[in-house]
Amino acid sequence: MRILLLEDDKQLGPWIAGGLREEGHVVDHFEDGKDALIAAMGQGFDVLILDRMVPGLDGLAVLKSLRASKDTTPALFLTALGEVDARVEGFEAGGDDYLTKPFAFAELSARVNALGRRRDGPHTDPEKPVLRYADLTLDLLSRQCERQGLTIDLMAKEFKLLEYFMRRPGRLVTRTMLLEQVWDMSFDPTTSVVETHISRLRSKIDKPFDQQLLRTRRGEGYVFGQ
Amino acid sequence: MSLVNRLRGRLRWLLRSSTLRLALLLSVISATGFAVAIFVALTLGEDANERRVDESLSALARASVLEDVTGDGPDMILRSPDALRGLPSSFRRAVERGGGTVHLQNDLRGSDVWRVLLTADSEGTPVVVAVPLEETEEAQALLAGILWTTAAVVMVLILAVGFVAGALAQVRLSRIDKTLGRLAQGDLSARTGHTRSKDDLDDVARQLDVTAAELERLVMQTRHLSASIAHDLRTPLARLQAQLEMLPDGEARGAALEESGRLSDIFDTIMRVARIEAAQGTDGFESVEISELLNEVAEIFGPVIEDEGKTLVVDVTEADRIQADRQMLVQALANLIQNALVHGGETITLFSNGTSFGVADNGQGVASDMFSEIIKPMVRLDAARTRDGSGLGLALVRAVADRHGAKLELSQNQPSGLKVTLNFANL
Repeated sequence: MRILLLEDDKQLGPWIAGGLREEGHVVDHFEDGKDALIAAMGQGFDVLILDRMVPGLDGLAVLKSLRASKDTTPALFLTALGEVDARVEGFEAGGDDYLTKPFAFAELSARVNALGRRRDGPHTDPEKPVLRYADLTLDLLSRQCERQGLTIDLMAKEFKLLEYFMRRPGRLVTRTMLLEQVWDMSFDPTTSVVETHISRLRSKIDKPFDQQLLRTRRGEGYVFGQ
Repeated sequence: MSLVNRLRGRLRWLLRSSTLRLALLLSVISATGFAVAIFVALTLGEDANERRVDESLSALARASVLEDVTGDGPDMILRSPDALRGLPSSFRRAVERGGGTVHLQNDLRGSDVWRVLLTADSEGTPVVVAVPLEETEEAQALLAGILWTTAAVVMVLILAVGFVAGALAQVRLSRIDKTLGRLAQGDLSARTGHTRSKDDLDDVARQLDVTAAELERLVMQTRHLSASIAHDLRTPLARLQAQLEMLPDGEARGAALEESGRLSDIFDTIMRVARIEAAQGTDGFESVEISELLNEVAEIFGPVIEDEGKTLVVDVTEADRIQADRQMLVQALANLIQNALVHGGETITLFSNGTSFGVADNGQGVASDMFSEIIKPMVRLDAARTRDGSGLGLALVRAVADRHGAKLELSQNQPSGLKVTLNFANL
């Protein structure tokens, strides 16, 4: 994907740009709002990543100008504000998503990819009724899980959790992402909800078998598969 | 029908006006005063008049001798009590009473009201003297008319002034009332917009505007401040996260990332408590069925509690619907469950009763006199802060309760433990 990044922080900017490039994206990194706006007007980007507070034009003003000229490129705001008001402002300006600092790179990457997919439309990624990884299959229609031909009984949340992982094989998934996507919680529940469910899921899909599919990356999250 | 209802509503609104009620009360009092005064004045006036006439009559009789006077003049009758022939029968009755005022059906010598007196002449012979009272009566009636008319006009004026003043005051009061309502709803830009400064109501309106402006300024300042704090802390936290993620894989990196995650979680919670406390109005509220909410929470947290070797009991006796922010309620219950996990006993109960619900445990509980302490932010009863937790749990629960206008009730669970109830009864 071709991504425009507007971020003036000397450490965060290169880190985000580098990470996205590593994932195979083409990134144009700007530190000034005006330059970013001119670039965005002239060339077609797939996703815009805009920091709210940058010198010159801030991200909000950049997006407002773009939206005023009928540009519908998906945009993600990065902000250190994190207040609900600021969030609402961002969406009102035409933002499609919102990420509060600090964030794990995996989260940014997941959101950027989701925005890119949204732009491509739903046709390019048809819902597969059966998810497969190695010897594990998850049938979304009959709600059945099998590994090495053995049926595994999963609770509703465990099923949802596994589905989320199987859609992102090999990718880092953070606790925050799971809370939001699987439990619909946008806050830290302080209790070890995620850890508990992961450990239960693991005891069902991994424990009885040789190859472990669900790995924990300490301090970061979980990775399913290679 | 709706017009009638609207008029009735309008009238009720107007009758709530204290000015109008005062005017009504005053007019009733002065009407009574007027009536009494006029009645007394007229009665006394009539009495005095009659006495004066009687005195003139007896003086007249004493000055004459019955035999000398041939009797009736054009405006006076002077006769012996035995010679009343030719006079209406009411005269005789008046004479039998010793005198009085006689009202006639038909005019007698141009007058239908006569004053009759039985008295004595200069020689002591009984004599009947009578004079017409037509003019006096007319004067009296005129006086009464003037007095009653004046009273009526004054009453109408008082009522009209009261009504108009009441309506005007009510219009201004309802503007003040509306402004206060909007302020209570969280619209801090609400003002009465009153600039006139003539009376107490103007003063109240202006004072309200000044207070609202100050309130808005303070809230904006707090918001601005918390936004700056957020920005100033989140930026270095984001850099820290970035730098940690760039480190080579290893135990130390994981541990550092864990701590940095914890740091931002705590910071998020602080910001969330502050935000919930600052929020107003009912934005984001939806109809929440309590039993459904509790079952959902039990589904999310049940496994966690089980894995800790404890039991979760859902005790829903009777559950209503409430208007609330669902996410916030889940968050509050999550904090209560976490508290119960850390401080409670073997059994954690999610209970509901009508519009109140909460979490109870059977642990050691908390002494009643510490209840007000533990809902303060950052207060933990173990001063050494050895156990996990930021001490923000109950503060957040309280903020959520306040946000919904619900009551946060802490009580002793029977036989032991702490019972925390969110009571939505006031909604």
